[in-house]
Amino acid sequence: MIIVQQVLNGIVLGSLYVLVALGLTLIYGVLVQINFAHADIVTVGAFVAYFVVQSLGANYLVAILAALLAGGLLGWLVNAAIFQPLRVTRSELLPLIATIGVSVMMQNGMLAWLGPVPFAFDTPYSNDVVRFGRIYITWQNLIIIVVSTVSIGLLYAFMRFTFMGKALRAVAQDRDTAGLMGINQAQVIMLTFVIASAFAGMAGAMLGPILVLTPFAGASVIVKAFAIVIIGGFGNIEGTIIAGLLVGLIESFTTQYLDPGWIDLVVFGLLLATLAFRPTGLIAERTEENV
Amino acid sequence: MSERAATAGSGLAAGPASTGALRWWAITLATIVVIAILPLVVTDKYWQSTFIVCAIHVLLALGLDLMLGFAGQLNLGQSAFFGIGAYVSTLLITRLGIPYWVAFLIGTLGAGLAGVLLSVFGVRLRGHYLAIASMGFAVITYQILLNWISVTQGPLGIYAIKPPPPLALPGIGLIDFAKPANMFYLVSGFTFAAYLFLVALVRSPIGEALTAVREDEVSAASLGINCAAWKVFAFGVGAAYAGAAGCFYASFVGTLVPDAFNMSESFTILAMVVVGGMGTLIGPVWGAIVLTILPELLRSIGDLRLVLYGLALTLVVMLMPGGLVQLARGFMRLITGRGRV
Repeated sequence: MIIVQQVLNGIVLGSLYVLVALGLTLIYGVLVQINFAHADIVTVGAFVAYFVVQSLGANYLVAILAALLAGGLLGWLVNAAIFQPLRVTRSELLPLIATIGVSVMMQNGMLAWLGPVPFAFDTPYSNDVVRFGRIYITWQNLIIIVVSTVSIGLLYAFMRFTFMGKALRAVAQDRDTAGLMGINQAQVIMLTFVIASAFAGMAGAMLGPILVLTPFAGASVIVKAFAIVIIGGFGNIEGTIIAGLLVGLIESFTTQYLDPGWIDLVVFGLLLATLAFRPTGLIAERTEENV
Repeated sequence: MSERAATAGSGLAAGPASTGALRWWAITLATIVVIAILPLVVTDKYWQSTFIVCAIHVLLALGLDLMLGFAGQLNLGQSAFFGIGAYVSTLLITRLGIPYWVAFLIGTLGAGLAGVLLSVFGVRLRGHYLAIASMGFAVITYQILLNWISVTQGPLGIYAIKPPPPLALPGIGLIDFAKPANMFYLVSGFTFAAYLFLVALVRSPIGEALTAVREDEVSAASLGINCAAWKVFAFGVGAAYAGAAGCFYASFVGTLVPDAFNMSESFTILAMVVVGGMGTLIGPVWGAIVLTILPELLRSIGDLRLVLYGLALTLVVMLMPGGLVQLARGFMRLITGRGRV
C-alpha cells in the first residue's frame, strides 16, 4: 500500500511541477526565451494565497484564484518591462540575464520584507482525509489534483480549439510566417506570458502548504521545473506533462527509499543524462530546432 | 550582438600592437604601483580583507567573462567551479597532507576539467541549454558538498584551514601570508597575471576564433573554426580561473561551508561581469571591484545588498548593455569632444 500512497504523493507533486514547467515551456515555445523570474511568480503566488487565507480569512479556493490573478499580472509586467523592449536586440542571452536580475531583486526584496523564517501555511483542507478503499488522500491533495488536471485540460482545449490558441501554436511554429498571416505576435506573446504566469501563481498557491514557505520557495521548485522542461523537450507540452509527473514520482520515491537530500542529485543526473543522450527531450517532437 | 563586438574590439585597441603601446605600459605599471601601495595606504585589516575579496571576485568574473563575453556561453555554474577549487585543494591539504601549491594546482586544474566535461555535454546545444545544464551542475555540486558529510563535513563545514605557507624570498626574508597585506599581494598579483594572460589570449588568433564563434557560428564553421572545441576551451579556462579563486578563498577565509558556493554566488559573479561590461576584459575587473566595495560602503542596507545587485543587473541589460565600460567610453567621448572613438 505504501507504494500506491507514494505514487499518489508523486502525482500531487508532479502535477504542481507540471503547472510551473508548462509556463516555461509555453514561453519558450513562442519566444525561444527563458523567464528566470518565473520562480518568483510561484513564490508570490504562494504568499498571496497565504495572506488571503490568513489575513483576510478567505476560503482557500478564493486564495488560489487570487494567486492566479497576481501571477497573471506579474507575467504581464515582466513581459512589458523586460522581454518586449529587448526583442529588438534579437539576443538569446540578454533577456535571460535581465530576468535573473529581476529574480534576484524579487527574492531578496521579499527576504528583506518577510524575513527568512518559514511561514506555516495551513489550509483547512490539509488535515481532512478522504478514504478510497485502503488509500487515504487529504482534501488538500485532492484539490491539487483536480485543479491541476482541470487547468491543464482547459489549456489543452484552448490551444486546440480557439482561434487565439491556434495563433499561439502558429507563432510557436514559425514566428515570422505567423506574422505574415496577420497574427499579432506581440498580442500572442503577451497572452502566453499572462497564461504561463497565472499558472505559476496558481501552482504557488497550492505549493505553499507543501513547501517550506520562504522567499526562496519558488527557487527550489524552478530548478526542477527547468529540469522537467529539458527532460520533456523545450516547447513540447506533452513531454513536459510526462516529465513533470516523472520528476514528482522520482521525488516521492527518493524521499521514501533513499534520502531527501538525493532528490536534486537524481533529478539533475537525469537532466544531464538527457542532455548527453537525448538532447531533444525524452519525447522528441521537433528535432531540428534546438540542437 | 554586433555592437558588443565593436566594443570588444575598441577595448583591445590600446594594446602593444597599436600606437597605444606606451599607454599600455603606463597602465600596466600604474596597476602594479596601485597594488603595491594599496595595503600601505589602507592599513585597516578589515579593508585589506575586502581588497582580497575584490581580487578573488575579479578572478571569478574574468573567468566567466571569457565564457560569456567572448565565447557567448552563459555559465550559471561559476559558483560550482569556485567550490570545486576550494574543496579539492583544502581536502588534499588537510586529508592527504599534499603541499599547498601542488593542491592549488590540482584544485585549479580539477575545476577546469569539470568545466570541460560539462561543456562537452552542452556545446552541441543552444545557449539556453548550457545555461540550464550549468545551473543543474551548480545545484548538484552544492548538494554533494552538503550531503557527502564523510568527506566535506556537510553544513558543519571545514574549519581552521591554514593560509598558504610562508614564502622565503632572498633579501626580503620570510613572507607570512597570514597577514592580510601579504595575502593581498599574492592574490592580486596572481589575478593581475591572470588578467594579462587573458589579454594576450583574446588578442591572439584564439581570441578572434572565440569572437567569431560568438557572433555567428555558421560563418565561423565555414571558415574552418571548430566551434565546439573553442567553446569547450573557453569553458575549461574560465572554470580553471574560478578554481584558482576557490583555492585562494579557502586559504584566505580559513573556513569552508557549502553555502558559500550556492547558486546565488553565480548570480553575483554574473552581475559583476554584466555591470562591468561583458565582452571586454577591463569591464569585469571594474564590475567586480565596484560591486564588492559599494555594498561595503553601504553596509547599512544589509539584506538589500542583493536587491541592489539584481537591480543593477536588470538596469544595465535594459539601458546600457555595454556596462561601465560603455559609460566610461561615452564620458570620455564627451570630454574629448570626439564624435566616435
